[in-house]
Amino acid sequence: MKVADFNGQKSDGPGWNLSERIWGYAFVAPAMTLVSLMALAPIGAALWLSLRHRLPIFGVDEFVGLANYLDLLGDERFWATLRTTLYFTGLSVGLELPIGLGLALLLDALTDERTRFGRLAQTVAIVPWAVPTVVSAQMWLWLYQPDYGLLNYVLARIGITVPIDWLADPRWAIHAAVIMEVWKTTPFAALMLLAGLKALPWELRAAARVDGAGWWDGFRSITLPLLTPVILITLVFRTMDAVRVFDAVYVLTGGGPGNTTETLSIYAYKTLFQSLQLGYGSALATAMFLISAILSSFYVLLLRRRMRDTT
Amino acid sequence: MTRAWILLFLMSVLGCTQRDDAPDAASTVLIFKHGRLSGDERMLTGLLREFERRHPGVTVREEVLPSSSDQQHQYYTMNLDGGRAPFDVLSLDVIWVQEFAKAGWIAPLDDLPPTIRREDFFPGPIEAATWDGELYAVPWYIDAGVLYYRKDLLERYALDSPRTWPELLRAARLVLDAERDPTLVGFVWQGKQYEGLVCVTLEVLRSNGSDLWAGDRDRAEEGLQFLRDLVWTYKISPLSIGMADEDSTRLLFGEGRALFMRNWPYAWSLLQREGSPVRGKIGVVPIPAFPGFSGVSVLGGWLLAVAKHSPHQKEARDLIGFLTSPDVQRRMAMELGYNPTRIALYAEQTMLDAKPIFKDLFPIFLSARPRPITPYYLLLSQAAQPELSALVVGTKDPRDVLRAVRRQGDWLLPRLARASADGEP
Repeated sequence: MKVADFNGQKSDGPGWNLSERIWGYAFVAPAMTLVSLMALAPIGAALWLSLRHRLPIFGVDEFVGLANYLDLLGDERFWATLRTTLYFTGLSVGLELPIGLGLALLLDALTDERTRFGRLAQTVAIVPWAVPTVVSAQMWLWLYQPDYGLLNYVLARIGITVPIDWLADPRWAIHAAVIMEVWKTTPFAALMLLAGLKALPWELRAAARVDGAGWWDGFRSITLPLLTPVILITLVFRTMDAVRVFDAVYVLTGGGPGNTTETLSIYAYKTLFQSLQLGYGSALATAMFLISAILSSFYVLLLRRRMRDTT
Repeated sequence: MTRAWILLFLMSVLGCTQRDDAPDAASTVLIFKHGRLSGDERMLTGLLREFERRHPGVTVREEVLPSSSDQQHQYYTMNLDGGRAPFDVLSLDVIWVQEFAKAGWIAPLDDLPPTIRREDFFPGPIEAATWDGELYAVPWYIDAGVLYYRKDLLERYALDSPRTWPELLRAARLVLDAERDPTLVGFVWQGKQYEGLVCVTLEVLRSNGSDLWAGDRDRAEEGLQFLRDLVWTYKISPLSIGMADEDSTRLLFGEGRALFMRNWPYAWSLLQREGSPVRGKIGVVPIPAFPGFSGVSVLGGWLLAVAKHSPHQKEARDLIGFLTSPDVQRRMAMELGYNPTRIALYAEQTMLDAKPIFKDLFPIFLSARPRPITPYYLLLSQAAQPELSALVVGTKDPRDVLRAVRRQGDWLLPRLARASADGEP
């Protein structure tokens, strides 16, 4: 709209009589071209590739229609990685959100006082998120080391003497990855929610307090309902990220032991870049894309309904 | 600030032009892509400058990839698939040569400099680099699995270095029971779900005459059972072996916390360097075998090849001839500890005086066997890794693992062979 207004002011000279609409398109054309080149073209290429059998080492490159997707349906490994991915996503997002909300409330209370400590706490809290995932995964690799890692040392000090083989034990490995992911991305959730909290009209809460509502009542009937859109957006972001998780798990376990921590993206990576099945790998990637899309449209639906209800 | 950027931009533009308009119009720029070598990088750079002096008009530009084998493979597959590659000479892991040759990414080396004769090199890597009767890569340095042991601990209990698996078990049990040191473990090896585990498994299976993808099923099952028993029955390998790779086992052994270790020879110079807790207390022997069989190491190492569509085929071959020449191999061995691929070097007295370990390694390199020589090796290995990992961490038994691995092989290979036959023009 801004573009159109701008044009409207300047359009009094001769030769500038093109309609606002056309000018609008003209102005967004470069941006749209850029977006389609950067985003749509690769997606289209991947889609096209997923309809082909393409194995460069064998000199195979043929159009096969939906054959890759049909193979996918019968691929046990695909279903196993899908289960792992959803389990990982559910568990980590399910933990991140409440912890992040708690952290956000705490930070909100702290910074309200405008203390130096509040700002410091805010900065410290986002450190895990700011560290590159590969670096923090390497750090956790050492923490999880069963013989001289810090975690087992701490556990031994509090009386749990049987060392846990965090990453080599198939029952623990995926949970070890979840713990790291929660540590790493809770700050992000907290930051999003904190921003939401800051935007809430404080008068409402103050009024509730004057009316005699306790902290919990105020939180439940005022803060939480008002915060819901932000919570949903946080959920969208976090779910998308968790479904696509790659580096955190790949550095920690490489998908092992016995594929118990192999997520969809690790499977796609191995198929694409290690065994070079470009067509099938692209089908896997597309499946991942579709799953993300389904999950996010579910959230968007929730968000829409929420918006409608509140207005 | 802006001015600085403009200046920088101008400088870079001018810099480029200058390079293109260099007076020597006939100059050829060879791009040499290789993984990061351990040790002093200036060593290789110095060698390349020497090559340039000997070949006027040729400039070699080094482009270094990360040392991780998987990452290098990924780089090559992405850059070679498009046809024209942005480099001329590349270094390859021994398990990729067949794949790259079949894909048509590297050129057959039929017209190599006369200094390169196949019979001068160890037979293992030459076999792995030969596809369809033609040589596609020249061995640059060689690796093979070896068993490291703690000389001091074995001597304390008057034990010999083990030649068979039962001897290793006995020695480990005896030392562990006598030392009563809760931080000491018996035998560490690579048990993580990755290529290293495939190497260890192949070594164990081949040491009772079986193999992973073909041959006697019962003996192969016994071998797999042994691998699993190391952790779960004999308990001389810790459960954490399920996450162990080359470096983590080297660190554990290097701290003096393991009696035996399976690893590659690269660990030797790191374990023997100044300040290492196990310096002077270790030895190297061939991989043990089951009674009645002889141990076989899995072959590792890197080779040099020429990108098929490189416009500088002759110069690229000259560079490979130079880098694999006896003189350069000798210097890389002395200064960087890389193991030469030329047999004759292991007989040189000056070499053996400087690197006595080469005497122990020579027979191991000579008998080392490659992993299955097929363009489809990575597919096979990828499919087997989760199964073997499940075996090590105790979630699958040997029978199921072997059945799954064999089924993958039986299913994959004929299909692939058919697909590629169809695909060929």
